[in-house]
Amino acid sequence: MKRLSSQGIEELKRLLIETNADSLLLPELLDHLACEAEERMWDGQSPVDALASLRREITPEIVRTLNLDHQNLLAMNTSLDEIVFEGRNKAYGAYALRLNYAKNVQKAFAGGILLFLALMYVPRLVSSLTPEKKTDYMVESVLTDVRLDQPKEEIVIPPPPAEEAPVQRQVRYLPPEVVTDVVEESPPPTIDALENAQISSQNVEGELLPDLIVPPTELVGPSKGADIGAENVVEDKIFTSVEQQPEFFGGQDALMKFLGKNIRYPSQAARANIQGRVILQFTVMPDGSIADIQTIKGIGFGCDEEAERVVRLMPKWKPGRQAGKAVRVRFTLPVYFSLQD
Amino acid sequence: MENTTSNSEYLRGTLKTIVLSLLAENKRMYGYEITQAVKEQTNGEIALTFGALYPVLHKLEQEGALLTESLEVDGRLRKYYALTQQGAETARDKTIELGRFLNALQNLLGVPEPLPATS
Repeated sequence: MKRLSSQGIEELKRLLIETNADSLLLPELLDHLACEAEERMWDGQSPVDALASLRREITPEIVRTLNLDHQNLLAMNTSLDEIVFEGRNKAYGAYALRLNYAKNVQKAFAGGILLFLALMYVPRLVSSLTPEKKTDYMVESVLTDVRLDQPKEEIVIPPPPAEEAPVQRQVRYLPPEVVTDVVEESPPPTIDALENAQISSQNVEGELLPDLIVPPTELVGPSKGADIGAENVVEDKIFTSVEQQPEFFGGQDALMKFLGKNIRYPSQAARANIQGRVILQFTVMPDGSIADIQTIKGIGFGCDEEAERVVRLMPKWKPGRQAGKAVRVRFTLPVYFSLQD
Repeated sequence: MENTTSNSEYLRGTLKTIVLSLLAENKRMYGYEITQAVKEQTNGEIALTFGALYPVLHKLEQEGALLTESLEVDGRLRKYYALTQQGAETARDKTIELGRFLNALQNLLGVPEPLPATS
């Protein structure tokens, strides 16, 4: 058995490296070629010749097709990841992430389901572990004889004896008594006694003077009342407020009816669509007639004049009275104008 | 050379089966040993180039059909291959399938030529 020297092996190794043999294949190829060389030496070639002949046979092209075949065969099983990362830095994290993605997803999915189930079952587990409180809906009750204890005698605490307050010195004071009979000591004098005597605050036994007339003492002061001419002055005054207000015969309703019947809506106002309230003032004379008609607040457009006209048409009023006397009274009357339609 | 290239065309589909059946016979082999075994058993009719062999070996390893073991021999690493349980099953299935296929081919082509024994 002829052996290839370590020098020869080194030479073969160099040859393979020169021809760019795949690093995965290199050790095996080296062994293979070494065996081949030894075989040739066995056949009678010198080690140098054997190596030289091998060198001729192992061309870079053959090695390249070998590499390609090798890669292609292995790549059948490799995934898209290998293709994507071919010639790139696989040590960088992205490759590992891609490679393990399916596994990680599976793990996460399984983990998620487990977590979910755990969350679902934890309450049940807890409730099964903790002893359940039995709630009895029906409880059998056993009647037992009850012996009542004798009630204890209550200990009565006597209240402390009240201390006697020191006594003040007292004097008896008689309460008023109702006396039934009062004896009038001096009854009023009889008429007979007064006949020839003067009434006085004392009894004087004097002489009987028949013609003496003593003027009575002025007990009442001079009258401050109105003199005779006062009544006329009152009549002249125009009141605004009296004890008995003047009134239309028939009352307020009759007045309204009268106004409603007699007032004609002025055409001017109707055309201009004027509505509102005309306030009139007039004096009711003692004989009930109307005088001194005046418009306090008007709305114009002929309404004021119309209102005055109708007031002038009114029959005599019941005059206002002050202290029973008919007096002049100033009266205020609002007249409403409103368009119905 | 022409002979080997035309052979390699047919080899492409059967190489996997060849390797598996060889390993089923011999328990543990390394790359060069496999090429030599093929060469011997076919009397040099089929020559496995290392360029075809090693990718297939690696592929099978990746599929889980093979176990590997590296030993240092004469100052270099030698990688031994052995079938796993799953690989043994695949080897059997593949061999039967290929045998059936060859029979069918034989009937189709009508060439009564003895084929290299694979099992």
